[in-house]
Amino acid sequence: MDKHNRSRLSSVVLPLLLGLAVIILWQSQLLHRMIDADTFTLPLPGRIFNIIVENIGKILINMKATVTVALGGLLMGSLLGYLLAIIASAFPKWGTGGLAVVSSFNAIPIIAIAPILNNLTKDFSRDPNVRSMLAKTLVVMITCTVSMSVNAYRGFTELKPFSEDLMKSFAASKGTIFLKLKVPNSVPYIFTALRVSVPASVISAMVSEYFAEYIIGVGRQIRENIVLAQYATAWAYIVAAIVIGVTMYLILLAVERASMKGRP
Amino acid sequence: MTEARKNSLTDKLVIIVWIIALIIVWEIGASVVEKTKRSPQNVLPHLSQIVESVFSDKMVSNKQTAFQIVITNAGITLLRAGIGFLYGAGAGFLLALAMHRFITVEKATFPYLMMIQMIPILGMAPIVLAITQDINKSRIIIAAILTFYPVATNMLDGLKSVEKEKYDLMRSLAASNWNIYTKLLIPTSIPYIFSGLKIAAPMAITASILVDTLQGGAGLGTMLSQSLKHAMSIYVFWQIVFFSATVGILSYKLMSFAEKIFSPHERAKGAR
Repeated sequence: MDKHNRSRLSSVVLPLLLGLAVIILWQSQLLHRMIDADTFTLPLPGRIFNIIVENIGKILINMKATVTVALGGLLMGSLLGYLLAIIASAFPKWGTGGLAVVSSFNAIPIIAIAPILNNLTKDFSRDPNVRSMLAKTLVVMITCTVSMSVNAYRGFTELKPFSEDLMKSFAASKGTIFLKLKVPNSVPYIFTALRVSVPASVISAMVSEYFAEYIIGVGRQIRENIVLAQYATAWAYIVAAIVIGVTMYLILLAVERASMKGRP
Repeated sequence: MTEARKNSLTDKLVIIVWIIALIIVWEIGASVVEKTKRSPQNVLPHLSQIVESVFSDKMVSNKQTAFQIVITNAGITLLRAGIGFLYGAGAGFLLALAMHRFITVEKATFPYLMMIQMIPILGMAPIVLAITQDINKSRIIIAAILTFYPVATNMLDGLKSVEKEKYDLMRSLAASNWNIYTKLLIPTSIPYIFSGLKIAAPMAITASILVDTLQGGAGLGTMLSQSLKHAMSIYVFWQIVFFSATVGILSYKLMSFAEKIFSPHERAKGAR
């Protein structure tokens, strides 16, 4: 027990020590000497913190824009992916091949998709903010659909041996088999998909902001501030981006733990 | 045997049918756009128009045809992506070994390794460019960071998957550390390393193209944004879209191919 506790303690203390060491190197400007940077492009942590406090209102507006796009796209993409997986598992002969084609979409760089959707949605609304929002959300949706459809399909098909035959021997209808056997079986696979698509949704939201008409969002602000040579402000938005990424992932882990409780 | 071959043939046929279906959907979309938009080539051109632009010898800029522009700039971008990919894979390999050898290293770095996955690294590309002041270095660094994470975590899983009995047996035979690593631990983790590399390869290419768009000069991303701003034919953009998608898929296939060569164990299983 004692040994166990000590081991748990060291897995908290050691990372903290490493983080502290990096911050000390940074604040004392030794880090700057190591990677040959100046305090202009790599401002000291204290200064970044001050800028965050001063501009918190503006930062929050941009964070809201990015999170809305990321979550909206994540939700739409995951639902669409799950639906595709249901259709594919209903027609396995055609479904497997279809999913193979869909999964090759994963290799298409976001940078290529974002401008296409920007042009496609030009006539959607007169308000550039609304139509940019739609274009960005669609980009995120596309990046999230693939991982959900592939993983959920595995959840529907990789059942326990004979479980489907057993259900059939009970004369269970196709609908019952689907609801009582396949859907519960797909839950862990949903989380596997989300572990990929939650970070991906934030990244694609930020990248699609680069190409959007309307200037808003954390990713776009990083870039805009660097163009203006306001490096400290850009760093403040990088911190905001990290906060979004880490928070969304931690929420996912918490939800996963809660919903997997009582499962073997 | 014949049954299996027949199955893989129908699988291929199904995929071909799907691709044809996609082409039909695209063409229907293109026809609709053609009638409703003023400059349809900006929104959704016919596939035939894109193919035509690949083979046309009309000079688009700098005495180069659209396809020559794509190919010469792709060389620059892909080379940097490749270098970054190798650096990242190497660093990931070494860190995984260190994490496996020294528990202190594993405990101190593991949370940060997890965090890299959650942090939108691509969003940090502009600041990397600002610090290094060099577009080539930034391409390499970003591609390396994106490769580093999946390789390190997957390889660590691989090293941990080694059966304890095998390890104990080698110990009891007084095998040297070098032999344990080269004969047991590293060979076992090779398939794991490749699953990391397969994730990383398309990401490294995406990253490299994105870093291009941050600055003028050369590279696929630069041409992509110039084409979008109508500094040159819009078909350069469409060619880059298809080119980068193809290269992304090929990079994945290349890793699967390399895996077959480098992991004799898996190959033996397939041959049986």
